[in-house]
Formats: sequence, structure tokens, C-alpha cells
Amino acid sequence: MNVRGATPRVVAVLLVLSGAVCVGLRFQARRDVRLGRGDSVWRLTYRIECDVDKAGANLRAAFPWDTPHSRVFREDFRSSGLTIGPRRLASTGTREVLAVAQEPGHADLTVRFDLHLSPTANWSVQAEPTALSVDTRARYLGSEPAVQTTGSAVIETLKRWPAAPATQAELVQRLFEYCQTQIGAGWEDAPSDAESALREGVATASGRARAMVALCRASKVPARLVTGFEIREGDEVPPQVWVEVLTGARWLPYDPTNGFAEKLPYNFVPARRDAAQVLLTSDVSAVEAVYSIVRLPGAPEGMAVNGGHVLDILDLTRLPLEMHEVLSLILLMPLGAVVTCIFRTIIGVKTSGTFTPTLLALSFVFADWRTGLLVFVAVIALGFTTRKVLDWLKLLMLPRLSIVLTLVVCCIVFAVSALDYLRLTPGSHAVLLPMVILTMIVERFYVTSQEDGLRVAIQLLAGTVLVGFFCYLVLRWESVARLLLAYPEGHFFTVAVLILIGRYTGYQLLEPWRFRDVADMEP
Amino acid sequence: MQRLRTDSSAKPARRRWRFWAWPSELRRRGILGMNRRNAAYILPRNPRHHFPRVDDKLLTKRICQARGIPVPETYAVIERQGDVRRFAALLDGRGEFVIKPTGGSGGRGILVIGQRDGQDLLTVGGERLSPADVQYHLASILAGLYSLSGHSDRAILEQRIVRHEAFAEVAVGGTPDLRVILYRGAPVMAMVRLPTAASRGRANLHQGAVGAGVHLRRGETFGGVCHNRVLAAHPDTGQPIAGLRIPDWDRLLLAAMNLGDALEMGYIGVDFVLDEALGPVVLEANARPGLAIQIANRSGLLRRLEMVDAHADALATHESRLELTARLAEVR
Repeated sequence: MNVRGATPRVVAVLLVLSGAVCVGLRFQARRDVRLGRGDSVWRLTYRIECDVDKAGANLRAAFPWDTPHSRVFREDFRSSGLTIGPRRLASTGTREVLAVAQEPGHADLTVRFDLHLSPTANWSVQAEPTALSVDTRARYLGSEPAVQTTGSAVIETLKRWPAAPATQAELVQRLFEYCQTQIGAGWEDAPSDAESALREGVATASGRARAMVALCRASKVPARLVTGFEIREGDEVPPQVWVEVLTGARWLPYDPTNGFAEKLPYNFVPARRDAAQVLLTSDVSAVEAVYSIVRLPGAPEGMAVNGGHVLDILDLTRLPLEMHEVLSLILLMPLGAVVTCIFRTIIGVKTSGTFTPTLLALSFVFADWRTGLLVFVAVIALGFTTRKVLDWLKLLMLPRLSIVLTLVVCCIVFAVSALDYLRLTPGSHAVLLPMVILTMIVERFYVTSQEDGLRVAIQLLAGTVLVGFFCYLVLRWESVARLLLAYPEGHFFTVAVLILIGRYTGYQLLEPWRFRDVADMEP
Repeated sequence: MQRLRTDSSAKPARRRWRFWAWPSELRRRGILGMNRRNAAYILPRNPRHHFPRVDDKLLTKRICQARGIPVPETYAVIERQGDVRRFAALLDGRGEFVIKPTGGSGGRGILVIGQRDGQDLLTVGGERLSPADVQYHLASILAGLYSLSGHSDRAILEQRIVRHEAFAEVAVGGTPDLRVILYRGAPVMAMVRLPTAASRGRANLHQGAVGAGVHLRRGETFGGVCHNRVLAAHPDTGQPIAGLRIPDWDRLLLAAMNLGDALEMGYIGVDFVLDEALGPVVLEANARPGLAIQIANRSGLLRRLEMVDAHADALATHESRLELTARLAEVR
């Protein structure tokens, strides 16, 4: 073998060896990860059962928020009779799992969160904007059915203090102390609204919190309820309710039930803001929700304890959970490229554009396949027709492409609307279909059909779709994605495979078919 | 052109039908596959920085002219959208010409105008084009619709080569062209591409033109291929494809070698058309010539390429290369 031929193989072998060494080192390092002093790992489980009254009924369970001392590093949903998907509420930033029932009957939903709790950590969390819009400020100052800011008991209570306090902090502290000491802790049948709580001097935990919210709001200090969990071992852990008051530029917590002011213990994790329930429902009955918390042993996968070392850059699992999904998808892209290489170089399937199939597949992962397929078929059919019509108008290429792009965009928007009409509401990611790529596919398809005939154009399109389909299968491979996120050096192997494919000089699988006539023919 | 033979090779071949051939059979026949072509011949033999010499048809033309190799006369080059409206004035009233993108490949974007009818122009395929249609086509070329790189391009207006009498019976609606593959400067395989009704007068195998092998020493056609299948008679005229002698064959081979030397690329295809007056005229050169030529020749390229490598000492002069080529013709 000459040097030229041998070098790539040597490089490939070296890459495989380096990959193996890196994976091994990291495996070792991950096993050695120990929790920091006082750190612990917990599993919070929501078990929800209910009877669905009609199709379209839904359950919305709030996710635990990340705090400086607590981070969710894994989440998992399971359900029967419900279609589920995560979403984020724009107003408060609360994340929810939204489970929609397709038909009446019994349904259940289990949601599991694994949390890393650390009394010493100070993780950065996405800050909530404290500059409130006019509407939001009005809401946090306004009256609600159970938070009657204009109720007589509320006004009477505020009249107890004739002198106004010097600062807002003093005022809030005074109101907090009043709710903590003057409103007794009642049984479950005690009042749970602000007005009755203040009048009767006894209330449930949420009643005391509402009383404080009402008093704050009546004193023109924005305040809201927060529901969350105190992370401690328990089979049936009741959600905690506390109050957050906007003081200066920060929302400060006050818990009249447990007596915490301005700062909560590190194991208090908020779930839903501006509401007293973790679980919100519509059109369901006989709801039973059980929240349980267990402590897990050891250090979990996907959790970095020590922070601040430069080498931590190499650890992708330390990034916030929300980035994991996108990062693992990006890490799967090279595998999509490998699939494309195999199809084009080893099998001999022709595609339009080199990475078009991979990008198409990527968009199908972000959108769900129903939306993707509907849009794809609509775009190709409509785009081709429009492109034919546009040919009569004799437009320059860029404006013409832009018109096709406009059409593609309209197709996507109306396909989403059509799916919604059919009660198959797609996620907001559905609109992330690659509009420019679809436009170029339409243009290529048309030009090829004109220049080389419809047969060749359809062959190219079919090749693109076929390769795209296999790329899609690869990009959907979640277990591999998780593995690559933990061991990104696995791509050493990918590059080694690509080098070997790059040096493959044998026949493409389709060439024996293409050259079949020459095989047994005498010249 | 004389018809030399109407022997067995002109009859439709009777073969057992098959859907598949084993790779070992292809290897036995010395068939060159796509991957080997790219990795073993194009990559090492065609330096990337010389690609513009073949990808830019205007540059290829200039190189040919410098070497005294006949090319179609250039009437005008349109480089700016602003010049598109002036195309009629640039043509000086000519009714017969070809529009082609300088950076196109596989015959894409080429428009052959056969005659003028008032303001309108008629393509050789019989399509009627208004001046606006032609301007639209020119604008598309300039925008880069047909260019290999996808970048903006230029359009050449050039002389239309009149079909040589030799091909009257086997070319429908257009001008046939001849492809010669040169390896390290030596012609290793050749074929003629005959337009058909299906290819709408274009000599492009993708579009349904018929390819026929050309014997390298004798300059005679044999065999035939259409859509990757072998065939013996022209699908439109029914005339046998084999046994045609290409006029000026040796001149054509010399011109090919001459151009190959100037381009400094080791593995290229050179496309010619035969003009009644000028003889072989270079249309373009291709740095990634297709592999269907092997079906047209009913023979693989690999052995011939290996033979050229084995006789590297015989590549010094055109004469010695022609001798080698004559021997290559017998390699099957």
C-alpha cells in the first residue's frame, strides 16, 4: 500500500484510539464525581389520576423552578390517555407540562423530576424581569376572588396602624408579622380567602398567604402567591404556599406559615408563581394528585457539582436542562452527515444539495412529523405549480425565489392552522421548518424537471426524501443523543468513519445495476 | 461520412435480460466506478486551482484560441443585467446563434436558436421565443441559475455549429457532439452523443440522447447507450448507430491532446462538435467527465487507465501518445 493510501487509515486508527482514551478518561472522571458537602439528590414525583369528562380536557402541572440552590437535571413524563408536551407560560415564566386528553375516560399522568440540591452552591438562574409592564403591575396590585384587596376586613386591618412606616421594607415586615402572629393556623375547613382569614383570625396556609398578598396589594406593594415544595423525604408531601413581594428590583419571599421572611431555606423550590395550585385542570373530575419526594443515592448522570474550573467547558451536561435538547440534536448532526455520506458514496443515491436531507430531517425533528409531512407535500405541490406560473411572468431570479419563499411561509402557517382545526395542534417548534431550504428544493426541482426531465427531477427528490428519512431516524435516537452529550468525544469515531468512507473507492451499490448491460456484453 | 459496416454489431443485441450485475463482473470488465474516479483520478490528477480553466467556458475558449484550436466564434458576452436588453443589437441581426452560460455544466442553460422570424426567434427544437423570453433566459443565466457554483454568471452568445452531413441520419433535432476522455494527455476513450426527440435535440445523455462508442484508432462508431441501457439503432430514425466513420478523426484527437496539455489537468473530457467548414470544434472541457461512456463503449475504463500509467514513458509527444492510444483501442 502506498503512503497516500495508508495515511488516512493511520489517521482513522489514531482517531479511534484518541476517542477511546477520551471516553475512558471521562468515564472514570464521571464515576469519581462526588457530591459537594451537604449536596443531595432528590426525586420529586407527581402522580395524578382523573376522569376526563370530554375530549380536549387538559391537566397543567408546573415544573419546579431552578434556584441558586436547586437544579432539575432530569425530567420524565408518562401518561395513559393523554398527549403531553412541555411549554412555558409567557406571563410568569412558569414551565408546565400540558397533558391533553383525546377522549373521555380515565387518565393518569406521572411526572418525575430529579433535583440536585446544594446548600452551598450559587447557581446562576435566569432572572425574572422585575420591571413590570403596566398590565402586570395592575394584576399584582389588583383584587381577585380570594384576594379581596378592597374587602372591609382588609381595610380595617390596615387602619390598625395609624402611622405609615418609613420604608416599604418596614411595611412589608409589619404585614408579614401580623399574618404570622394574628392569623392562627386552621384545619382544612378553615377559610382560605384573604377577607375571611383576616375577619376570623384563623385560616389555612394558603389563606394566610392570601391575606398577606391582599394586605400588601392594598398598601400598593405588588405581591403574588407562589406554590412550591419543601424538598424533604415523604410519600405524600403537600405543596407549600408562600408570598413574593416586589421590593425594589427583587421579588422577596415571605412564608407566614413557616415564619420565613426575605429568604427561604435552600430546600424550598417554587413551582408555580401567581397561583396557589401546582396542578391546574379543565374539564376533568375526580382529580387525585399525590406528590412524593425520595432522596436518591450518589451523584447522578448529567450533574456537575464543582463549578468554576475551566475544564468544565468540556462538560456539556453541566449546562441548563433546557439546552440539553438542542445541544444533543446538534451533536447528532454529524451522524446525519454520516448517513448522507453512506447513501451518496457507498449506495450511490443522488440527492439535491449535499446537506439538504440532514437539514430537512432536523426540521422534522423540531416540528413533529405530521406537520413536517403536511407542509413538505403542500410546499412541493404548490411551489411547483406556482413556479410554473411564475415562469410566465419572466421575473429575475432573486425576486422569483423570494415569491416562492413567501409561498412556503404561507404554506407553513396555514398548515399549522389546518392541523389545529383538525384538533392536532402542533407545537410552536413546528414553524421552524427550514423555509429557505424548502424554497431551494422547489427551485431545484423545477429547474431539473425543465432541464433534465421530470424523471430525473423526481429521482432527485425521491433520493432527498429517502436520505432525509434515514437522517430523521438517526436524529430521533435519544439514547445516543444523551450519550453524545455526556461523551462528545464520541465524534472522534464519527470522524474516523468519515475518513474511511472518504477513502472508499469501491463500486457504489447501485453501480452494478447501472452498468449491468456491460457486464456480460462483448464489445 | 460513409457507412462502413452493417454487420452483426448493428443488429439489436439479443441478450438475456438481467437486472443486476455482480461487482466482481464489473471488476472483470474493468468498469471504473464513481468513487474510484473521484478518489484515484480526479482528486490527484486535477489540481483544484486549474478547475476554472474548464468550469469557465470563456477561459477554455481563450486557451483554445491561443493554441490555434478551432472554437465557435464568440459574438458577444453579456455580463450585466443592463446589457440583457441590448442582446438583439449585440447579435447584429444574426438569426442563428447559441446562448450558453459560461459556468454551466451538462448542457444546462444552453439555448440553440436556429432562425429568426420577425422579432421572434425559433429554437432548433421548434420552440418560438419572443425577445422577452430570451431576455428572461439571459437574466436567469446572469443570476447564476445554471452555474456550477451557484454564483452569478455570464452569458456567451456564439456561433451555432451546423450539423455535419455525416450525422444526418442519426441525429434528430440538434447537433451531435463527440466526447474524448484524456488521461495524462492520452485519449483513452471516446464516444459520440446523438440527440433524439426525447432529448429535445440536446446531446445530453441525462436527457435521453444516445451515446455510441468510437473506436480510438479507426474513428468508427460502435455500440450504443440510452438511459444507461445498450441499444443498437437510433430510437427515432431506426438507423443503426454502429459503423459511422467520424471525419477528421486524427485532427480531433490531436486537438484534444493539445487542449489537454494547455489545461494541465490529468483526467478530463473534451467535447467537440463537427463543423462542415472548420472540422472539429471544441465546445468545452469537463473536469468530472461522466462514466456512461463505458456503457457506450461496452468496455471499462480502468484497464486503459492502468495501461497509460504503465506506459508513462510513452506520454512525451503527441505521436507517441497516438501510438499508445491505438493500442488502448484494443483493450477490452
